[in-house]
Amino acid sequence: MPEFNPVLVKELRSRMRGPRAFILLTVYLLILSAVTLLLYAAVGSSSNSGSDLNAGQRVGKTLFLTIATVALIEVCVITPALTSGSIAGEKERQSYDLLIASLLSPWQIVWGKLGAALAFALLLILAVVPVMSLAFLFGGVTLAEVLIALTGLVTTAVFYATVGLFWSAVMRGTLGATILSLGSIILMLLLIPFLWAISTIIFSRGPNDIMRSAAYIYGGGAFISTHPFIALGLTEAFLSSGDSAFYTIIRPGGQDFWVPSPWLVYIVLSVLISAILLFFSVRLLRPIPESRRNKRARRAAEEDRAEGVERKG
Amino acid sequence: MSAIVETRDLTRRYGATLALDHLNLQVPEGAIFGFIGPNGAGKTTTMRILTTLLLPTSGEAWVASQSVLKNPHGVRKLVGFMPDFFGVYDNMKSWEYLDFFGRAYGVAPQRRAGAIGELLDLVDLGHKRDDFVMNLSRGMKQRLSLARTMIHDPQLLILDEPASGLDPRARIELRELLKELRALGKTILISSHILTELAEMCTHIAIIERGRLLASGDVETIMRSLQPHRTLELRVLGDPSTGSGEAAARAEELLRGHAGVLNVHRDGAEQTEAVPPAAEAPPEPRTLIVDYSGDERGMADLLTVLIANGVVVSRFAERASDLEDIFMQVTQGIVQ
Repeated sequence: MPEFNPVLVKELRSRMRGPRAFILLTVYLLILSAVTLLLYAAVGSSSNSGSDLNAGQRVGKTLFLTIATVALIEVCVITPALTSGSIAGEKERQSYDLLIASLLSPWQIVWGKLGAALAFALLLILAVVPVMSLAFLFGGVTLAEVLIALTGLVTTAVFYATVGLFWSAVMRGTLGATILSLGSIILMLLLIPFLWAISTIIFSRGPNDIMRSAAYIYGGGAFISTHPFIALGLTEAFLSSGDSAFYTIIRPGGQDFWVPSPWLVYIVLSVLISAILLFFSVRLLRPIPESRRNKRARRAAEEDRAEGVERKG
Repeated sequence: MSAIVETRDLTRRYGATLALDHLNLQVPEGAIFGFIGPNGAGKTTTMRILTTLLLPTSGEAWVASQSVLKNPHGVRKLVGFMPDFFGVYDNMKSWEYLDFFGRAYGVAPQRRAGAIGELLDLVDLGHKRDDFVMNLSRGMKQRLSLARTMIHDPQLLILDEPASGLDPRARIELRELLKELRALGKTILISSHILTELAEMCTHIAIIERGRLLASGDVETIMRSLQPHRTLELRVLGDPSTGSGEAAARAEELLRGHAGVLNVHRDGAEQTEAVPPAAEAPPEPRTLIVDYSGDERGMADLLTVLIANGVVVSRFAERASDLEDIFMQVTQGIVQ
């Protein structure tokens, strides 16, 4: 029977040992539970008339959306922090060379680090399920919505974990890697809606054909769908208006555009970006590529020849 | 002895700095090979190339006929590397540390369990099996690190400054351990600044400076080639009536007349006469230093001549050349 990835075993062993993991999980659930409790108290007191038959459903929906949003925020913050120290930490501890000099491939090292961080992130996401299931007591939430929310959380965990891993492979210190990981994620979360808003303002002043074109609808839709909050929020809006969970039809100016649901676009793009980041992370763990070595060798040989000519001269 | 490590025109540049300059090195199998050089000489660069952590700018290197460029995976199987620092993992016990690297080197689970116990016993850390690595002393960490380098039973151990920062006891323990490893058939390539330490355990040495190999070979040959004559040390006693000065003069005269004696001089510290000894006290012995180009038989003849002529000799020994002297002699003029 093949053995588990050694890095994964080591990381899980040391990550789950001691009070750190327990404290993080407890704080994570405490924040989530506190927000849920406060929201329930607020929504409950505002719909106290007793004559509204849909009040329960509204409470359920509000609870679900809030829990999903808080969980997403926590995943956005925690997962890059879990991976940003993974490879940079090896460099800081001076154990990096020992890993590279072993028979482990760069892919095994990267996958072991990512797998261990994702295992813990999945534990956090699974811990959300019981809290999220409270919404079912009130109704108003479908199973599809819950599954899409959980899929979105898992995808975000993978996406942002690879962002952290990439910076961890680039940087020599954990602090720098963590700052760059969180910084680039915050920048993405702020920049995407900002650029979307700017482009909408610019294009709305121009000829209307641009905003009705397939390029704008699909290109702009794909761009905005890289933002987890917007992609999942739009999906929820489409589902609430009775659209399919997998596609929706947009009619700007009477022409029908069949577009995939934003959560699907988000998953595809996140997986794609994650794969690219993983590829570069693996490349960064290798010694200098052979092609660059050959260039250097040629340059060194040329320099040596030039020195030889000078000496003879 | 066949070479387990061979480099050919190994060159490495860091930008404009030339760290290794066409290094041609051969490490015989089964040797304890001391790699000597001042800071920045290129020792660590060579070691990192041999462990596939660094690519040379040009040239080639082989470990047990495996090219470090063409077959780095094969080379890693054959090499155990101990850098000049100890990579510490949080929350990891001693046996888990070895288990992790055993897995990383693809050691089978059945073999791994036995190897961990054996290696911990070999480095005298069997009683620390369940202790966290971070809580071990520096000497213990170094020994654990040495155990780690052997977890996959490599043919070649590359140890970069393994004794740095260790107290004298830990150094002696490490030295004895390395001798044990050599007895187990391992080839050890070791760099150190502590030359006396290397002199005691190395069978071969290489002296490197500014990326260039200055001397390489077995210790005795290098010593002999750099210092072709023997240096003999004699202690001569005189009788109370004449004093030791006269006896030393007589010995000097006899020595100068003997074939093979290149030079005779009195040891510097004893040349000046201090306070004259009291009449009743025995005369102070005199030390003579003799540069001698003959062999062992000639040395025996020399001693016989002295004794036959009534010179009382309390000490007659060949003075061993010091590795530090050799190092200073070889690197002389190039060191800044």
